[in-house]
Amino acid sequence: MILQRPAVTVENVQLAERTFRIRLEQPEIARSIRPGQFLMLRIPETTDPLLGRPFALYDTVLDSGGEPVGLDVVYLVVGKMTTHLMAVKAGEPIEVWGPLGNGFPKFPNIDQVTCVAGGIGQTPFLAYVRELLGTRGYAGQPAVRQVNKVSLYYGVRSAGFAAGVEDFRQAGCDVRLASDDGTVGTKGFVTQLLAADKPAGPFVGCGPEPMLKALAKLTASWNASCHVSLETPMACGFGACFSCVTPVCTPAGRDYKRVCVEGPVFDAATLAWD
Amino acid sequence: MDIDLKVRLGRLDFRNPVLVASGTFGYAREMADLVDFQQLGGIVPKTVTSASRPGNLPPRTVETPSGLLNAIGLDNDGIDHFLEHHLPYLTSLPTAIIGNVAGKTEDDFVELAQKMGQAKGMAGVELNLSCPNVSGGTDFATDPAITKRIVDRCRAVCPHPLIAKLTPNIANIVPIAKAAADGGADAVSLANTFLGMAVDWRRQKPVLGNITGGLSGPAIKPLVLRIVWQVAKANILPIIAVGGIATLDDVMEFLVTGASAIQIGTANFYDPTASVRIVDGLPAAVASLGAGSVREIVGTLKRQA
Ligand SMILES: Cc1cc2nc3c(=O)[nH]c(=O)nc-3n(C[C@H](O)[C@H](O)[C@H](O)COP(=O)(O)OP(=O)(O)OC[C@H]3O[C@@H](n4cnc5c(N)ncnc54)[C@H](O)[C@@H]3O)c2cc1C
Ligand SMILES: Cc1cc2nc3c(=O)[nH]c(=O)nc-3n(C[C@H](O)[C@H](O)[C@H](O)COP(=O)(O)O)c2cc1C
Ligand code: FES
Repeated sequence: MILQRPAVTVENVQLAERTFRIRLEQPEIARSIRPGQFLMLRIPETTDPLLGRPFALYDTVLDSGGEPVGLDVVYLVVGKMTTHLMAVKAGEPIEVWGPLGNGFPKFPNIDQVTCVAGGIGQTPFLAYVRELLGTRGYAGQPAVRQVNKVSLYYGVRSAGFAAGVEDFRQAGCDVRLASDDGTVGTKGFVTQLLAADKPAGPFVGCGPEPMLKALAKLTASWNASCHVSLETPMACGFGACFSCVTPVCTPAGRDYKRVCVEGPVFDAATLAWD
Repeated sequence: MDIDLKVRLGRLDFRNPVLVASGTFGYAREMADLVDFQQLGGIVPKTVTSASRPGNLPPRTVETPSGLLNAIGLDNDGIDHFLEHHLPYLTSLPTAIIGNVAGKTEDDFVELAQKMGQAKGMAGVELNLSCPNVSGGTDFATDPAITKRIVDRCRAVCPHPLIAKLTPNIANIVPIAKAAADGGADAVSLANTFLGMAVDWRRQKPVLGNITGGLSGPAIKPLVLRIVWQVAKANILPIIAVGGIATLDDVMEFLVTGASAIQIGTANFYDPTASVRIVDGLPAAVASLGAGSVREIVGTLKRQA
């Protein structure tokens, strides 16, 4: 059930260069969202910025009794809305609607899942790691361990942009870093690091389109399953505007699918990458 | 005091003047969690065309100051699919459903109106004579003779009340509204989006895949108020105002200016529950003018500022 609600900002803290984590108190949405789904956030009382913006669930926030009461979102400041978001203080309201989108696939009885992130694409994976390793349940489901091991291959521009690495390690995830300038982890693209390591799949990726394209190609060459979470611009987030489309291959030829309702997570083999 | 919210436009009856605009409410299914349909005056689903259309290349929308520029390109699966898959759901909803069609040619419009005319349970049909993204630059509703002919021919084959949705991209809209009335329209929707463009100078490229698009949202409200006022003054036929309406104040402004009903468009994207909140607040706003019904306040704008 999609809900539109005002949410109170609990904190808004810097994690890395131009990267912040905003914590919102919103128990109703927190109780029903699961990993890979997203939220639309909007600055209230202004028409500039006008539209909400899509952000992945970083994780739910639990109260002392383990009940979901809040939502964490980790965001990179890139433009108009995120610049406003950066200035939001504790106690101030944010308009939220969600949960939105399909979420990540579940993988019962698989040994290992490998997540691959580029840029700010690590954000949807923290909750997923916890779901897969059975340390947290979502949307009313109990916490059940589904896989033995989860790895995160995470590529950043440079060391200062790496955000949330400790959160992932604490969640029990094996983190491998790559950076464009070599200031952290291996120098080069995250897909180059992945190609060198060749870890076990299935693979789940999120990040800039060129990275996802390289990931889809690489995993296809290994005959491995790969899902990707897309970050297309969105106006509504719930299927009404038809602005967020991505080209897909169907038996009848090329078609467009709405990323907000039929995604954001797609089997990489169904997308038209050219 | 009980405030009467009902409005009548030609043969169209709505329980209240708050409708939702074509292309901004999907096929209503998308909004089912967010909106109590029973609260709405009516729903205009996304435009349908004769054949299915894939729509334009992304990016299809870009935000501009207090506005939204779109070039969706009437992405839809065609009239037959609409009648089979969307209409049964729509007509099961507890509110008035206005089908919306766009033809590539005049004959196309007539065929679409005829098919809509045979469908049961629809309150009316809105003729989208004004989509800026598909007609290849020639909006039907920039020519009074063509406007009149299309409405007239559709009227002959479609028993449902007809609404002509006009383009604002014209110096004087009054003759077009007159032509729609002469053709037999029950009402006019004023208006569709304003042609616009966004540019990324760093990449030296237009932002939209379609290069140009239609501007909507709060940015256009003053422009549409002016258009509604021009047509209301000429006393031609009932008006449904659409353009930048997002709050109760916006709705009241359009009603006193001369619209008998309004449609909420872009606001459905950024405040999806706006329509129901507006309906909730309407009785008190009408009462604050000392009126007992919405009808009494329509077109009550005083001439002096
Ligand atoms: C499902 C999903 C999940 C997401 N999750 C996250 C997340 O967890 N964290 C996160 O940080 N981001 C996430 N994103 C991306 C996020 O939605 C965008 O970064 C955000 O919308 C940016 O908003 P803004 O107003 O700050 O930027 P905008 O001002 O909208 O600009 C965004 C980008 O587009 C460029 N741009 C803007 N206007 C123009 C123009 N006219 N011409 C050319 N280029 C332009 C800007 O330079 C900038 O790079 C997600 C996106 C999706 C779809
Ligand atoms: C994304 C988008 C899609 C639209 N699609 C249609 C459409 O299919 N048919 C139509 O008649 N109008 C369409 N419109 C126009 C709206 O119905 C409305 O006339 C216009 O947006 C002005 O109102 P607003 O400012 O409240 O959005 C669309 C508008 C937007 C923003
Ligand atoms: S963002 Fe509106 S349909 Fe996907």
